[in-house]
Amino acid sequence: MTTVLAICVAVLVTVSVYLMLSRELKSVAMGVFALGHGANLSIIAMSGSPVLADGGLRNPPILGAVGLVDPLPQALILTAIVINFAVMGFLLTLLILTAKRTGTLNVDELATEDRPTRGRTGGDR
Amino acid sequence: MTNDLLGLFVVIPLVTSLATVALVRRPVPQRVLGLASLCSMLVLALTWLVRIRHGEVMVSQMGAWPAPFGITLVFDSLSGLLLCAGLLVATACYIHGFSMVEPLTERRYFHPLMQLLLVGVNQSFLTGDLFNLFVAFEIMLMASYGLLAIGRTRRQMTQAYKYLLLNLVASTVFVITAGLVYGMTGTLNIADLARFVADRSAAGVPLPTGFTGLSVMLLVVFGLKGAFFPLWFWLPDTYHTCPVSIAALFSGLLTKVGVYAVLRTFPLVFAAGEARDVVLPIIAVSAGVTMLLGVLGAVSQHDVRRILAIHVISQVGYMVFGISMMTTVGLAGALYYMIQHMVVKSSLFLCCGVMERHAGTDDLDGMGGLLKRHRWLGVAFFVAAMSLVGLPPLSGFFGKLVIIREGWTMHWWLSAIGLATGALTLLSMLKIWTQGFWSPESGPAPARGGATTASLRPAHVGIGILVVAAVSIGLAAEPIYDIAFHAGEQLTDPSAYIQAVSPLAPDSVVAATGGGG
Repeated sequence: MTTVLAICVAVLVTVSVYLMLSRELKSVAMGVFALGHGANLSIIAMSGSPVLADGGLRNPPILGAVGLVDPLPQALILTAIVINFAVMGFLLTLLILTAKRTGTLNVDELATEDRPTRGRTGGDR
Repeated sequence: MTNDLLGLFVVIPLVTSLATVALVRRPVPQRVLGLASLCSMLVLALTWLVRIRHGEVMVSQMGAWPAPFGITLVFDSLSGLLLCAGLLVATACYIHGFSMVEPLTERRYFHPLMQLLLVGVNQSFLTGDLFNLFVAFEIMLMASYGLLAIGRTRRQMTQAYKYLLLNLVASTVFVITAGLVYGMTGTLNIADLARFVADRSAAGVPLPTGFTGLSVMLLVVFGLKGAFFPLWFWLPDTYHTCPVSIAALFSGLLTKVGVYAVLRTFPLVFAAGEARDVVLPIIAVSAGVTMLLGVLGAVSQHDVRRILAIHVISQVGYMVFGISMMTTVGLAGALYYMIQHMVVKSSLFLCCGVMERHAGTDDLDGMGGLLKRHRWLGVAFFVAAMSLVGLPPLSGFFGKLVIIREGWTMHWWLSAIGLATGALTLLSMLKIWTQGFWSPESGPAPARGGATTASLRPAHVGIGILVVAAVSIGLAAEPIYDIAFHAGEQLTDPSAYIQAVSPLAPDSVVAATGGGG
């Protein structure tokens, strides 16, 4: 199980790094989201299976319960998913606003159009 | 001692934030509410700081769940000092904002975002739990993304991406690390982790494999938030684009939260055992380069705001230098330096806002003659600038004195860099002073922003609060340093902290680690 999860994490992280290196902000955003999912899966993998290799059951470190999956990593992931979702919403809103304001989501074009206002005499502030 | 009301530092700004959302079209009630929230928290924090001045630790267990299982809030010397300084800075910047933030910007949820930022900052200072620290960071960052893009100009939006994406990646690394820490140790409570590490080293058992890797990952995460070398590149542009009151607030709070996280977790947990030999040299080298490159960057700049922004980096170097020694005095010095830096740096940014208003630009070429027309602004700037440089009897002197003297025996080369950085800081501050204030006026009296004395009154109040605070931190160096010294003691010998937070028998922790590993 851990191997499968590890492969999933590896694929997600690879995809996200590839996407984040792109010059298009939409892809960069998608890369960030994939990275978030990779992180959540890695926590799942970390929490381990409730069944040990010898067939016995593992005790989660909380309250001495027997035969349960450790609930804490799942609570962590739930929190992380919610936060990721909120950040995603913000990032997508910012993308839409940027596209409306500048007409492009390409990093190079944004940078070149940015340059004139960056002069030493100060800009629109 | 227990104090079940520590949650107020999160509840008050949260409730205020929701209330100001409802009042978003009416600026005056929002300002009154916001100010009431900030002042009440400041009074609470100061009262409780006085109560713990002999090194006591106040603890709140949320929902009465005992420590390793529930969320714990801790108000000890370290959190208390930083909370007070942070709230003071926030109050001053908020008042300053009344005259500096445009009415349109104010209607774009400036007040709710400001309160949300404080929810995150207060929670990160108070929390005693690694995952909760992540949540607090996220709240703070969400608010700061909003404040950064608040004007919706093209420059702000393009700059916001850099900050946002970097922080998203850092947060993801933080989540992964938190998960790994839990997998390795079976706990996320910082006191419990400290006990885990202390028990292991006392029993001569090596730490779990990969613990050093976790330390380095966390150092990268916190280093990015705190703008250590080589992760500081996002900072100057970010602070350059947003309204100046917000930049002042960011300079006072955001990077300090990153430094605080290092100060809290590394001496207690992540610089222990085998990790110590890997992490401490990294921190020391990073401190030296951060100090030197930061100040060289500042000397080469020509905009007041850029000079100040890059100076933030150089000053972070001093704090990291203090941390890198991991001795009681070094940590106490770092803490004292952080507090005075928060106040001084923000007051410089606030002065810079008024200077921009008067001169119509923040380019030093376009400024001049400010001293003749605005004498008190000059005085305020001069006092703050000399504090930053470290001229006795102002506050910066004592911070630098403690850190550099302590460092002389351990890392003399870092102390030498620190002294050179001080001299270069003086150079860059004198640049602003001579060109902005002393030199003759460069053109016809501008006042492009239509700055009148009445509209700038709140800004002057904000500057006044911080400059008075900066001077009194210098004059009251001894009592404040005493509290900082208690914090240093608690960090180098965490037994009191552990006892106060989670007085559990060690064997139940061993049972827990057996289950989680």
